[in-house]
Amino acid sequence: MIKCIACGMPMNAKEDFACGDITKNYCKFCMREDGSMQSYREKLNSMTEFIIKTQGIKEQPAREAAKSMMAKLPAWQNKIDDM
Amino acid sequence: MAESKRKIQKELTRKHILDTAIKKFGHNGFVKTRTLDIATAANISHGSLFAHFPTMDDLMTSAIEEFGNRLCTRLHDEVSKKQSLPDILQAHLNGILDFEDFYTHLIIERRLLPESAKNTYIVIQSTISFHIGLAAEKEIQQGKIKNMPLHMLFNAWMGMIHYYLSNGDLFQQNGSIIKAYGPELLANYLLFIKST
Repeated sequence: MIKCIACGMPMNAKEDFACGDITKNYCKFCMREDGSMQSYREKLNSMTEFIIKTQGIKEQPAREAAKSMMAKLPAWQNKIDDM
Repeated sequence: MAESKRKIQKELTRKHILDTAIKKFGHNGFVKTRTLDIATAANISHGSLFAHFPTMDDLMTSAIEEFGNRLCTRLHDEVSKKQSLPDILQAHLNGILDFEDFYTHLIIERRLLPESAKNTYIVIQSTISFHIGLAAEKEIQQGKIKNMPLHMLFNAWMGMIHYYLSNGDLFQQNGSIIKAYGPELLANYLLFIKST
């Protein structure tokens, strides 16, 4: 199964891929409006907001969980945590 | 060839350790289970277990991730089939049922777990909420269910499930809480959120 390198979401259908392009290794939720992949900072912010929206928890535990999850994903392996 | 065989064997052993750990955590809980208990049950040496999982924190976090992957993949597949909200909620219950003892210990002991395990738990719950939200969105637009914030829709559902699981001994002497009460929880939750 192909998973998005930036958030880990499984990408089965064509529409799961960024721009519907199955050669891309990131998903539609991890792309910017111009089709490029979000930066670490953008993804950390959007992932934090996603956790808050889905569970209503406070920002700090949401951000820590987002950082922890992103640290395991291929796109962010060389990222130095500066946030 | 030999290299690829070794890689496959390594992956199989890792999976075997994780499956055994999930059973042991489900039986004894996270805090009370020792790495030696898992190695013994898996019929491997203690050293071999550490070669795959250097610390207990790694093992706990990986076991929770494994549970989350299986549950979330099931929900993702259901949502991809454009299933209704009751179907997604039922798939969620079925996913918990497969790991009921493990999941019950996870929610009861969550605050005592290492940070990495707690963070993994948070991400899994958000993924579940997201999939429930995708199915709910259509039914909110159709006026079938109340228009409420996603986190309340999710937390209310989880509140019911977690109350029954964490107090399982009060509801059922033996056997699965999800099997015994899942249909009642689902039917009444749907009544609570139904548009009036």
